[in-house]
Amino acid sequence: MNISGLGIFCLLLTLAGYYSSKILYRRHRKVWFAPIIAAPVVILAVVASLHIPLAGYFTYTHWLAALLAPATIAFAVPIYRERNLIKQYPITLTVGVVVGLLLGLGSSWLVTYFTAMPAELSNSLMVRSVSTPFAIEATPAFGGVPGLTAMLVLLTGVMGMLICEPLFKVAKIKSSVAKGMALGASAHGAGAAKATEIGRQEGVIASLTMIFTGVAMVILAPTFAALIH
Amino acid sequence: MTTTLTKPTPSVRIKNSTIKFTQVCLFCIFSWACHIVAIKLNSPIPGSVIGLAVLLILLSMKLVPEKMVNNGATWLISDLLLFFIPPVVSVIKYQDILEHFGTVLLSSMLIASTIVLLGTAFTVDRLFKFEHQYRAKKQLQGAI
Repeated sequence: MNISGLGIFCLLLTLAGYYSSKILYRRHRKVWFAPIIAAPVVILAVVASLHIPLAGYFTYTHWLAALLAPATIAFAVPIYRERNLIKQYPITLTVGVVVGLLLGLGSSWLVTYFTAMPAELSNSLMVRSVSTPFAIEATPAFGGVPGLTAMLVLLTGVMGMLICEPLFKVAKIKSSVAKGMALGASAHGAGAAKATEIGRQEGVIASLTMIFTGVAMVILAPTFAALIH
Repeated sequence: MTTTLTKPTPSVRIKNSTIKFTQVCLFCIFSWACHIVAIKLNSPIPGSVIGLAVLLILLSMKLVPEKMVNNGATWLISDLLLFFIPPVVSVIKYQDILEHFGTVLLSSMLIASTIVLLGTAFTVDRLFKFEHQYRAKKQLQGAI
Protein backbone atom coordinates (compact mmCIF):
# COMPACT_ATOMS: atom_id res chain seq x y z
CA MET A 1 0.00 0.00 0.00
CA ASN A 2 1.44 3.38 -0.91
CA ILE A 3 1.26 6.35 1.44
CA SER A 4 -1.87 7.97 0.03
CA GLY A 5 -3.70 4.63 -0.12
CA LEU A 6 -2.81 4.06 3.50
CA GLY A 7 -3.94 7.60 4.32
CA ILE A 8 -7.36 7.02 2.77
CA PHE A 9 -7.67 3.69 4.60
CA CYS A 10 -6.93 5.41 7.92
CA LEU A 11 -9.44 8.20 7.26
CA LEU A 12 -12.14 5.65 6.38
CA LEU A 13 -11.21 3.55 9.42
CA THR A 14 -11.60 6.58 11.69
CA LEU A 15 -14.94 7.62 10.16
CA ALA A 16 -16.29 4.07 10.19
CA GLY A 17 -15.12 3.42 13.76
CA TYR A 18 -16.73 6.61 15.00
CA TYR A 19 -20.05 6.51 13.14
CA SER A 20 -20.64 2.77 13.64
CA SER A 21 -20.19 3.09 17.41
CA LYS A 22 -22.49 6.11 17.37
CA ILE A 23 -25.22 4.13 15.58
CA LEU A 24 -24.69 1.07 17.81
CA TYR A 25 -24.90 3.19 20.95
CA ARG A 26 -28.09 4.88 19.77
CA ARG A 27 -29.69 1.44 19.23
CA HIS A 28 -28.40 -0.46 22.24
CA ARG A 29 -27.42 2.11 24.93
CA LYS A 30 -24.71 -0.19 26.30
CA VAL A 31 -21.89 1.81 27.83
CA TRP A 32 -19.15 -0.10 25.97
CA PHE A 33 -20.72 0.94 22.63
CA ALA A 34 -20.47 4.61 23.64
CA PRO A 35 -18.44 6.42 20.93
CA ILE A 36 -16.10 7.83 23.58
CA ILE A 37 -15.07 4.28 24.57
CA ALA A 38 -15.63 2.03 21.55
CA ALA A 39 -14.35 4.32 18.77
CA PRO A 40 -10.86 5.10 20.16
CA VAL A 41 -10.36 1.51 21.39
CA VAL A 42 -11.23 -0.07 18.02
CA ILE A 43 -9.25 2.46 15.96
CA LEU A 44 -6.19 2.26 18.24
CA ALA A 45 -6.35 -1.55 18.13
CA VAL A 46 -6.40 -1.62 14.31
CA VAL A 47 -3.60 0.95 13.97
CA ALA A 48 -1.45 -0.88 16.54
CA SER A 49 -2.02 -4.41 15.25
CA LEU A 50 -1.35 -3.46 11.59
CA HIS A 51 1.75 -1.48 12.71
CA ILE A 52 0.57 1.55 10.73
CA PRO A 53 3.17 4.34 11.01
CA LEU A 54 1.76 7.51 12.65
CA ALA A 55 2.82 9.71 9.71
CA GLY A 56 0.71 7.50 7.44
CA TYR A 57 -2.21 7.63 9.83
CA PHE A 58 -2.12 11.43 9.89
CA THR A 59 -1.92 11.96 6.08
CA TYR A 60 -5.63 12.75 5.83
CA THR A 61 -6.93 12.38 9.40
CA HIS A 62 -5.16 15.58 10.43
CA TRP A 63 -7.98 17.36 8.59
CA LEU A 64 -10.38 15.95 11.16
CA ALA A 65 -8.24 17.35 13.98
CA ALA A 66 -8.20 20.70 12.14
CA LEU A 67 -11.97 20.92 12.76
CA LEU A 68 -11.32 21.30 16.51
CA ALA A 69 -10.76 25.06 16.06
CA PRO A 70 -14.05 25.76 14.20
CA ALA A 71 -15.79 23.56 16.81
CA THR A 72 -14.39 25.80 19.56
CA ILE A 73 -15.86 28.86 17.83
CA ALA A 74 -19.19 27.03 17.49
CA PHE A 75 -19.44 26.99 21.32
CA ALA A 76 -20.54 30.64 21.05
CA VAL A 77 -23.95 29.42 19.84
CA PRO A 78 -24.99 27.46 22.99
CA ILE A 79 -23.74 30.32 25.19
CA TYR A 80 -25.95 32.74 23.22
CA ARG A 81 -28.90 30.35 23.24
CA GLU A 82 -28.77 29.95 27.05
CA ARG A 83 -28.17 33.63 27.83
CA ASN A 84 -31.31 33.83 29.99
CA LEU A 85 -30.17 30.97 32.22
CA ILE A 86 -26.76 32.66 32.59
CA LYS A 87 -28.41 35.95 33.55
CA GLN A 88 -30.58 34.15 36.13
CA TYR A 89 -27.78 32.60 38.16
CA PRO A 90 -24.62 34.63 37.53
CA ILE A 91 -23.08 34.06 41.00
CA THR A 92 -23.59 30.29 41.06
CA LEU A 93 -22.25 29.87 37.53
CA THR A 94 -19.20 32.09 38.03
CA VAL A 95 -18.20 30.59 41.36
CA GLY A 96 -18.88 27.08 40.07
CA VAL A 97 -16.64 27.63 37.05
CA VAL A 98 -13.85 29.10 39.19
CA VAL A 99 -14.08 26.31 41.79
CA GLY A 100 -14.30 23.62 39.10
CA LEU A 101 -11.31 25.01 37.23
CA LEU A 102 -9.15 25.38 40.34
CA LEU A 103 -10.11 21.94 41.65
CA GLY A 104 -9.40 20.36 38.25
CA LEU A 105 -5.96 21.88 38.10
CA GLY A 106 -5.24 21.57 41.83
CA SER A 107 -6.26 17.91 42.06
CA SER A 108 -4.06 17.03 39.06
CA TRP A 109 -1.14 18.91 40.56
CA LEU A 110 -1.69 17.22 43.94
CA VAL A 111 -1.63 13.67 42.58
CA THR A 112 1.42 14.29 40.41
CA TYR A 113 3.15 15.81 43.45
CA PHE A 114 2.78 12.54 45.36
CA THR A 115 3.57 10.14 42.52
CA ALA A 116 6.69 9.73 40.41
CA MET A 117 5.63 10.10 36.80
CA PRO A 118 7.73 11.23 33.83
CA ALA A 119 7.50 15.00 33.27
CA GLU A 120 5.71 14.79 29.90
CA LEU A 121 3.00 12.65 31.49
CA SER A 122 2.50 14.71 34.66
CA ASN A 123 2.58 17.98 32.69
CA SER A 124 -0.01 16.65 30.26
CA LEU A 125 -2.27 15.78 33.22
CA MET A 126 -2.73 19.42 34.27
CA VAL A 127 -5.39 20.31 31.70
CA ARG A 128 -7.15 16.92 31.75
CA SER A 129 -10.49 18.19 33.06
CA VAL A 130 -11.19 20.71 30.26
CA SER A 131 -12.58 19.87 26.82
CA THR A 132 -10.08 18.62 24.20
CA PRO A 133 -9.90 21.66 21.89
CA PHE A 134 -9.11 23.89 24.89
CA ALA A 135 -6.81 21.30 26.49
CA ILE A 136 -4.71 20.96 23.35
CA GLU A 137 -4.30 24.74 23.15
CA ALA A 138 -3.45 25.07 26.85
CA THR A 139 -1.17 22.07 27.37
CA PRO A 140 2.08 23.47 25.85
CA ALA A 141 2.11 26.21 28.52
CA PHE A 142 2.48 23.48 31.16
CA GLY A 143 5.05 21.54 29.12
CA GLY A 144 2.47 18.92 28.15
CA VAL A 145 2.28 16.95 24.90
CA PRO A 146 -0.90 17.28 22.74
CA GLY A 147 -1.16 13.52 21.98
CA LEU A 148 -0.86 12.43 25.61
CA THR A 149 -3.13 15.28 26.69
CA ALA A 150 -5.87 14.19 24.27
CA MET A 151 -5.68 10.66 25.70
CA LEU A 152 -5.77 11.82 29.34
CA VAL A 153 -8.68 14.18 28.62
CA LEU A 154 -10.57 11.28 27.08
CA LEU A 155 -9.85 8.99 30.05
CA THR A 156 -10.93 11.72 32.47
CA GLY A 157 -14.20 12.10 30.58
CA VAL A 158 -14.94 8.38 30.66
CA MET A 159 -14.04 8.17 34.34
CA GLY A 160 -16.28 11.08 35.32
CA MET A 161 -19.12 9.55 33.35
CA LEU A 162 -18.79 6.24 35.18
CA ILE A 163 -18.27 7.47 38.76
CA CYS A 164 -20.69 10.43 38.87
CA GLU A 165 -23.92 8.64 39.74
CA PRO A 166 -22.65 6.57 42.71
CA LEU A 167 -20.81 9.68 43.99
CA PHE A 168 -23.88 11.91 43.73
CA LYS A 169 -25.90 9.27 45.57
CA VAL A 170 -23.37 8.88 48.40
CA ALA A 171 -22.89 12.65 48.76
CA LYS A 172 -26.67 13.27 48.51
CA ILE A 173 -26.33 15.79 45.68
CA LYS A 174 -29.81 16.39 44.31
CA SER A 175 -29.98 19.81 42.61
CA SER A 176 -29.68 19.71 38.84
CA VAL A 177 -27.41 22.76 38.80
CA ALA A 178 -24.88 21.09 41.12
CA LYS A 179 -24.92 17.84 39.12
CA GLY A 180 -24.57 19.67 35.81
CA MET A 181 -21.75 21.92 36.94
CA ALA A 182 -19.82 19.09 38.61
CA LEU A 183 -20.06 16.96 35.45
CA GLY A 184 -19.13 19.82 33.13
CA ALA A 185 -16.16 20.86 35.27
CA SER A 186 -14.79 17.37 35.84
CA ALA A 187 -15.69 15.39 32.73
CA HIS A 188 -16.19 18.06 29.98
CA GLY A 189 -17.88 16.65 26.81
CA ALA A 190 -18.45 13.17 28.19
CA GLY A 191 -19.82 14.74 31.37
CA ALA A 192 -22.15 16.94 29.35
CA ALA A 193 -23.42 13.90 27.44
CA LYS A 194 -24.00 12.05 30.72
CA ALA A 195 -25.70 15.11 32.21
CA THR A 196 -28.05 15.26 29.20
CA GLU A 197 -29.05 11.66 29.99
CA ILE A 198 -29.89 12.73 33.56
CA GLY A 199 -31.96 15.73 32.37
CA ARG A 200 -32.13 18.64 29.92
CA GLN A 201 -31.26 21.33 32.46
CA GLU A 202 -28.30 19.30 33.76
CA GLY A 203 -27.04 18.91 30.18
CA VAL A 204 -27.25 22.61 29.35
CA ILE A 205 -25.50 23.60 32.58
CA ALA A 206 -22.78 20.99 32.07
CA SER A 207 -22.13 22.25 28.52
CA LEU A 208 -21.91 25.87 29.67
CA THR A 209 -19.57 24.93 32.53
CA MET A 210 -17.40 22.93 30.14
CA ILE A 211 -17.12 25.89 27.72
CA PHE A 212 -16.39 28.48 30.41
CA THR A 213 -13.79 26.36 32.23
CA GLY A 214 -12.16 25.59 28.88
CA VAL A 215 -11.92 29.23 27.82
CA ALA A 216 -10.65 30.24 31.27
CA MET A 217 -8.05 27.48 31.20
CA VAL A 218 -6.71 28.58 27.80
CA ILE A 219 -6.47 32.23 28.87
CA LEU A 220 -4.99 31.51 32.31
CA ALA A 221 -2.69 28.60 31.38
CA PRO A 222 0.54 30.67 31.28
CA THR A 223 -0.28 32.17 34.72
CA PHE A 224 -1.13 28.79 36.26
CA ALA A 225 1.98 27.22 34.75
CA ALA A 226 4.16 29.96 36.24
CA LEU A 227 2.57 29.36 39.67
CA ILE A 228 3.08 25.60 39.56
CA HIS A 229 6.65 25.45 38.29
CA MET B 1 -38.58 22.24 18.44
CA THR B 2 -40.57 20.36 15.81
CA THR B 3 -40.61 16.60 15.88
CA THR B 4 -41.63 15.04 12.59
CA LEU B 5 -43.01 11.55 12.79
CA THR B 6 -42.89 11.12 9.04
CA LYS B 7 -39.46 10.87 7.42
CA PRO B 8 -38.34 14.06 5.64
CA THR B 9 -38.48 13.84 1.87
CA PRO B 10 -35.15 13.40 0.02
CA SER B 11 -35.23 16.97 -1.32
CA VAL B 12 -35.69 18.39 2.20
CA ARG B 13 -32.83 16.23 3.47
CA ILE B 14 -30.53 17.40 0.67
CA LYS B 15 -31.48 21.01 1.41
CA ASN B 16 -30.76 20.57 5.14
CA SER B 17 -27.42 18.89 4.46
CA THR B 18 -26.43 21.69 2.08
CA ILE B 19 -27.27 24.31 4.71
CA LYS B 20 -25.29 22.41 7.35
CA PHE B 21 -22.30 21.92 5.03
CA THR B 22 -22.26 25.60 3.99
CA GLN B 23 -22.40 26.72 7.62
CA VAL B 24 -19.56 24.37 8.60
CA CYS B 25 -17.49 25.80 5.71
CA LEU B 26 -18.21 29.32 6.97
CA PHE B 27 -17.06 28.29 10.44
CA CYS B 28 -13.83 26.91 8.93
CA ILE B 29 -13.10 30.07 6.94
CA PHE B 30 -13.84 32.27 9.96
CA SER B 31 -11.68 30.06 12.17
CA TRP B 32 -8.79 30.27 9.70
CA ALA B 33 -9.12 34.08 9.57
CA CYS B 34 -9.08 34.28 13.39
CA HIS B 35 -6.00 32.06 13.45
CA ILE B 36 -4.18 34.40 11.04
CA VAL B 37 -5.21 37.47 13.07
CA ALA B 38 -3.99 35.84 16.31
CA ILE B 39 -0.61 35.08 14.74
CA LYS B 40 -0.25 38.57 13.22
CA LEU B 41 -1.11 40.22 16.56
CA ASN B 42 1.18 37.83 18.45
CA SER B 43 -1.85 37.17 20.67
CA PRO B 44 -1.34 34.96 23.75
CA ILE B 45 -4.99 33.90 23.33
CA PRO B 46 -5.44 31.41 20.46
CA GLY B 47 -7.49 32.33 17.39
CA SER B 48 -10.25 29.85 18.20
CA VAL B 49 -11.04 31.53 21.54
CA ILE B 50 -10.91 34.99 19.91
CA GLY B 51 -13.32 33.64 17.28
CA LEU B 52 -15.67 32.37 19.99
CA ALA B 53 -15.74 35.81 21.63
CA VAL B 54 -16.25 37.62 18.30
CA LEU B 55 -19.09 35.32 17.25
CA LEU B 56 -20.76 35.68 20.65
CA ILE B 57 -20.61 39.49 20.33
CA LEU B 58 -21.98 39.36 16.76
CA LEU B 59 -24.85 37.11 17.90
CA SER B 60 -25.65 39.35 20.90
CA MET B 61 -25.71 42.47 18.73
CA LYS B 62 -27.96 40.59 16.27
CA LEU B 63 -25.46 41.27 13.49
CA VAL B 64 -25.41 37.53 12.81
CA PRO B 65 -28.79 35.80 13.08
CA GLU B 66 -28.77 32.58 15.14
CA LYS B 67 -30.33 30.74 12.19
CA MET B 68 -27.24 31.41 10.09
CA VAL B 69 -24.94 29.41 12.37
CA ASN B 70 -27.24 27.07 14.28
CA ASN B 71 -27.09 23.89 12.16
CA GLY B 72 -23.36 24.09 11.50
CA ALA B 73 -22.60 24.73 15.16
CA THR B 74 -24.78 21.81 16.28
CA TRP B 75 -22.96 19.44 13.93
CA LEU B 76 -19.49 20.66 14.94
CA ILE B 77 -20.30 20.29 18.64
CA SER B 78 -22.12 16.97 18.47
CA ASP B 79 -19.31 15.31 16.48
CA LEU B 80 -16.49 16.87 18.50
CA LEU B 81 -15.28 13.42 19.53
CA LEU B 82 -14.53 12.51 15.89
CA PHE B 83 -12.11 15.42 15.62
CA PHE B 84 -10.01 14.40 18.56
CA ILE B 85 -9.62 10.74 17.70
CA PRO B 86 -6.51 11.50 15.55
CA PRO B 87 -4.64 13.19 18.45
CA VAL B 88 -5.62 10.26 20.70
CA VAL B 89 -4.18 7.75 18.20
CA SER B 90 -0.81 9.49 18.47
CA VAL B 91 -0.44 8.10 22.03
CA ILE B 92 0.90 4.94 20.38
CA LYS B 93 4.21 6.81 20.52
CA TYR B 94 3.98 6.78 24.31
CA GLN B 95 2.91 3.15 24.66
CA ASP B 96 5.87 2.29 26.93
CA ILE B 97 5.21 5.12 29.39
CA LEU B 98 1.50 4.32 29.53
CA GLU B 99 2.11 0.61 30.11
CA HIS B 100 4.66 1.31 32.81
CA PHE B 101 2.69 3.97 34.66
CA GLY B 102 -0.83 2.78 33.78
CA THR B 103 -1.91 1.74 37.28
CA VAL B 104 -0.47 4.79 39.05
CA LEU B 105 -1.94 7.03 36.38
CA LEU B 106 -5.45 5.57 36.52
CA SER B 107 -5.62 5.47 40.32
CA SER B 108 -4.36 9.03 40.70
CA MET B 109 -6.79 10.23 38.03
CA LEU B 110 -9.61 8.47 39.88
CA ILE B 111 -8.74 10.29 43.11
CA ALA B 112 -8.40 13.62 41.31
CA SER B 113 -11.72 13.24 39.44
CA THR B 114 -13.52 12.37 42.69
CA ILE B 115 -12.15 15.56 44.27
CA VAL B 116 -13.35 17.71 41.33
CA LEU B 117 -16.79 16.10 41.11
CA LEU B 118 -17.58 16.26 44.82
CA GLY B 119 -15.91 19.62 45.47
CA THR B 120 -17.74 21.36 42.64
CA ALA B 121 -21.06 19.66 43.39
CA PHE B 122 -20.95 20.59 47.11
CA THR B 123 -19.98 24.21 46.46
CA VAL B 124 -22.60 24.73 43.78
CA ASP B 125 -25.30 22.93 45.78
CA ARG B 126 -24.87 25.29 48.75
CA LEU B 127 -24.47 28.40 46.61
CA PHE B 128 -27.44 27.63 44.38
CA LYS B 129 -29.77 27.38 47.37
CA PHE B 130 -28.48 30.75 48.56
CA GLU B 131 -28.83 32.49 45.18
CA HIS B 132 -32.27 30.96 44.64
CA GLN B 133 -33.54 32.31 48.00
CA TYR B 134 -31.88 35.66 47.33
CA ARG B 135 -33.66 35.96 43.97
CA ALA B 136 -36.98 34.95 45.49
CA LYS B 137 -36.59 37.55 48.24
CA LYS B 138 -35.70 40.25 45.70
CA GLN B 139 -38.70 39.41 43.57
CA LEU B 140 -40.94 39.52 46.63
CA GLN B 141 -39.64 42.97 47.55
CA GLY B 142 -40.20 44.11 43.98
CA ALA B 143 -43.80 42.90 44.22
CA ILE B 144 -44.41 44.92 47.40
